[in-house]
Amino acid sequence: MPLKEFPEIMYHIHMKKGDVGRYVFLPGDPGRSEKIAQYFDDPHFVASNREYVTYTGTLLGEKVSVTSTGIGCPSTAIAVEELCMIGADTFIRVGTSGGMQPEIVPGELAIITAAIRDEGTTLHYMPPEFPAVADVEVVLALREAAEKLGNPHRLGISQSKDSFYGQHQPARMPVSDRLQERWKAWKMGGAICSEMEAASIFILSSIYRKRAGGIMLIGANQESKDPNVGHAESLDALLATAIAAVKILIVKDRAAQAA
Amino acid sequence: MELNIQYHVQLRPGDVGRYVLLPGDPGRCKLIASYFEDAKFIVQNREYVTYTGTLLGEKVSVTSTGIGCPSTAIAVEELCCVGADTFIRVGTSGGMQPNIKTGDVAVLTGSIRDEGTTPHYMPVEFPAVADLDVVLALREGAKNAGIPFHLGISQSKDSFYGEVEPDRMPVDKRLHERWKAWVAGGAICSEMEAASIFVLSSIYRKRAGGAMLMAKLDLGDGDHFDKDSGNNMEMFDINRVIKVAIEGLKILIVQDRKSR
Repeated sequence: MPLKEFPEIMYHIHMKKGDVGRYVFLPGDPGRSEKIAQYFDDPHFVASNREYVTYTGTLLGEKVSVTSTGIGCPSTAIAVEELCMIGADTFIRVGTSGGMQPEIVPGELAIITAAIRDEGTTLHYMPPEFPAVADVEVVLALREAAEKLGNPHRLGISQSKDSFYGQHQPARMPVSDRLQERWKAWKMGGAICSEMEAASIFILSSIYRKRAGGIMLIGANQESKDPNVGHAESLDALLATAIAAVKILIVKDRAAQAA
Repeated sequence: MELNIQYHVQLRPGDVGRYVLLPGDPGRCKLIASYFEDAKFIVQNREYVTYTGTLLGEKVSVTSTGIGCPSTAIAVEELCCVGADTFIRVGTSGGMQPNIKTGDVAVLTGSIRDEGTTPHYMPVEFPAVADLDVVLALREGAKNAGIPFHLGISQSKDSFYGEVEPDRMPVDKRLHERWKAWVAGGAICSEMEAASIFVLSSIYRKRAGGAMLMAKLDLGDGDHFDKDSGNNMEMFDINRVIKVAIEGLKILIVQDRKSR
């Protein structure tokens, strides 16, 4: 289903065709866009409106961009919709998350293969039985990048939730029993990290036949005895891995195009 | 749980290998086992038929699940209890995208939980996903076998006739609307068991994947098999997908030995 092409400036992200590359990094935090752009060649600021901050530059001579999504699936879905309309086709969510298995050490990188749709946005697109899955090629590129750089990592499912405090302080919520029961189920299912945006990126990418993946720094792990002890938390390890993965994708995409 | 004879599959520890192929049809087990070395019949009870043999010297098995997630979940539960840890669903399905031809193989990456069994285990928002290593092995297996394949999501449904004859169902509108959503989401094939295999495997930390032979469906006019002259039903040969599953399984066996 081709998206309508809008020549004009997108309503929320304030960009038009040509402003972004096909590869777009998606952090939640607008303050992180500039930091990610520093890993690009020739980065320049493109636009800022609401929580959407975009920089564009190049990697291996290919145009790439970073656009922040804000927190949560509602604002993220808007970003993905509008980025698709102006030519983006490969999305890498990059951000921080909480660990969900006792053996996970803070500082590890979580490469997301699929997401629990524990949020309200994707139901406006697709019944809940449909799985929110990452693109296999993007997952493989992220894994290869983490291996190359020697960064500890694991593959698995994230919980995409709508309530940050519902996760961190469930006991004080009116629906505390439900929150705690579902958290237990996600853990038993093997979910590795809790974050707030991936499900919407994956579902929209499935519908629009785009590619998406995600890599999350595990900042704390409430399931381990000591939630904050571990590797030195390194945003650089996260960002360097995401950048290396997109370079791998660029090389592969060029080879496929040449063939 | 009683670890001796399993109630439904009637298997004991040692009866099966860690690698188990899971067709739906009990009548298909013998054919699949003919691809093994030294295959022998183990047991039959209800819709559960098991053969065990070897591939590359490694013990492998095939157990039929019967149609649908209820009987499949029982098979997976009990196979886990007797030592299985890697499951490959192999069977037939209907293609859900216009570019799919009869005889193409679907390598499943995940499943739509359009069924009633897995909500007894896990809230519906949890994704039913295949294990990446199994997916990659089956993809490689399809390449080696020279059989056209597609990676993607299956619809695991509970009602066969709800899919092929939705118009005569009391809930026809709902069936049509959801089918349209699954197609728009990019689902590639419709089958009846994968979601339960994937969700149970996630819970028990086992590996699972699936390879499905696809028939081209007439997507415009209900969801019947396409009767166009361009649709060659002779390609709907189960041996095509069995070859993919066997090749994929051999790749996994080699990889597992290397990593040991």
